[in-house]
Amino acid sequence: MSRNGVLLQVEGVSKSFGALAALTDVSLTVSAGEVVSVIGPNGAGKSTLFNVITGLHGATRGRVLFDGQVITGRAPEAVNRLGLAKTFQITNVFPGISVYENVRVAAQSRAPEAGRFTSLWRRPDVEGAVMELLVAFGLEGRRDETAQNLSHGEQRYLEICLALATKPTLLLLDEPTAGMTPGETRDATALIRRMALARGLTLLLIEHDMSVVMGISDRVAVLHFGQKIAEGPPEAIRTNPQVIDAYLGGVDD
Amino acid sequence: MSSPLSPRAALVFAALALLPLTPWMSKYYLLLAFDALLFGAVAMSLDLLIGYTGLVSFGHAAFFGLGAYSAAVLLERGVTSLWLSLALSLVVVGLYALLVSYFATTRRGIYFALLTLIFAEVVYTVFRYTQAFGGSDGIQGLPAPSVLPGVLVDTPARNYYLVGRVLAAIRENEDRARFLGYDVQRYKMGVCMISAVLTGLAGALYPGRAAYATPDLLHWSISGEFLIMVMIGGLGTLVGPIIGGAFFIVLQEKVSSYVQWYSIIVGLVLVFIVLFVPKGLLGFRSALRLHGLRGGSP
Repeated sequence: MSRNGVLLQVEGVSKSFGALAALTDVSLTVSAGEVVSVIGPNGAGKSTLFNVITGLHGATRGRVLFDGQVITGRAPEAVNRLGLAKTFQITNVFPGISVYENVRVAAQSRAPEAGRFTSLWRRPDVEGAVMELLVAFGLEGRRDETAQNLSHGEQRYLEICLALATKPTLLLLDEPTAGMTPGETRDATALIRRMALARGLTLLLIEHDMSVVMGISDRVAVLHFGQKIAEGPPEAIRTNPQVIDAYLGGVDD
Repeated sequence: MSSPLSPRAALVFAALALLPLTPWMSKYYLLLAFDALLFGAVAMSLDLLIGYTGLVSFGHAAFFGLGAYSAAVLLERGVTSLWLSLALSLVVVGLYALLVSYFATTRRGIYFALLTLIFAEVVYTVFRYTQAFGGSDGIQGLPAPSVLPGVLVDTPARNYYLVGRVLAAIRENEDRARFLGYDVQRYKMGVCMISAVLTGLAGALYPGRAAYATPDLLHWSISGEFLIMVMIGGLGTLVGPIIGGAFFIVLQEKVSSYVQWYSIIVGLVLVFIVLFVPKGLLGFRSALRLHGLRGGSP
């Protein structure tokens, strides 16, 4: 992949569920190394956009390119294998197994043995990668705890660990700080930013918390009723009258 | 990587090998022990599917019965080599399992169970009404197979490290596993095939002991009994269902030798177990050890 090259291209994507048009002709470009946020009121189509990009839904019209390849219509596992990982808005981990095993199973999907017959007798060595992630997110002391026993904040971190363990080049974060206290949100934002820099990650995130969006993003795209109504640097978005009217005007967080 | 045969497993196998030599071992008890072990093995293969991956098969009788018929057809023609019986049942059950698992794993939950049941009922009907296989009488009066010496390969569950963890992950949260890059259907198909083939191999041993193969072996009620064995032993414990299978066989045999209406008593015992020992005979002990999946430990 070329440096500063275009990593993700969403080209004129529309998505309808029956008569409901969730997305209408949405285009978005994300370059390598960028942090881009998608904001918009509830029901604006943000999660649908993520689901189309990650392969959960097909697009009714338009296409998505990742690193030059068309990925619309590919299965989530195929899209993930290209280096595009996603975290979920509602924590989505493996509840009944330990924190360590959660991250391990994610890391193993990238081991050369994964999906091959040799995996029946060979254990891939992912210990180092797993522990590195647990330490980075302060979960090393909880490694043997069952995931469902973690606090909400810890589960949010585990969620990110799972996605990072698959060694993505582009990470999609769906409201990573959902349900966190303001203090936790600040820490999480700083941590995400640090991880992205250290790993050379490109980030695309959905966020409700304006302090997070303004603090972390290089660029912000605004969705409203399934259409992109604005895009630009955070300061410009903050003062864009159309955006204020549609979104910031109604909600003042 | 563990040794091919753990000391504890070696001890168990040695004890089993010496079993026929013990003076108090009558033919009756020997056959009972054989059945207990055979159905214990079937229950264990089924547990791989249910307890580990969360896929409930209601059609394992078909795998078992097809294995039994494969062996019976050979024995009927005077081919008494046990290894040939095993080889044929491997092929027959393998092909059938490929078909079933391909279609069944595209669906989840109750639909998976129903698809396995429907396929199995088709197999039952075919054998029940095909005169070449003896129709409802099945294939009777078979000679005993000759047992050639072979090697015993022990494959402890802990060797299946990667696959085992992925299966647990699929059971825990199938959708998330897909978003981590796992082709979930492929893993499900794989485990379905393994479980089916192991069950089929157990089935291939049955005609040698019973001297017959009848359509009853393919009946859905047999699939139900397999499920009960797994439940008694403890879901997801692998070793538990061996005990569950043995327990069920011995219970059924013992009770039925006293009363005609033995199913009522067996049923009551099962209800009792489900109510008061819901995790099965071994479940409550092993659940922590096997399911806790302590990181780092072998």
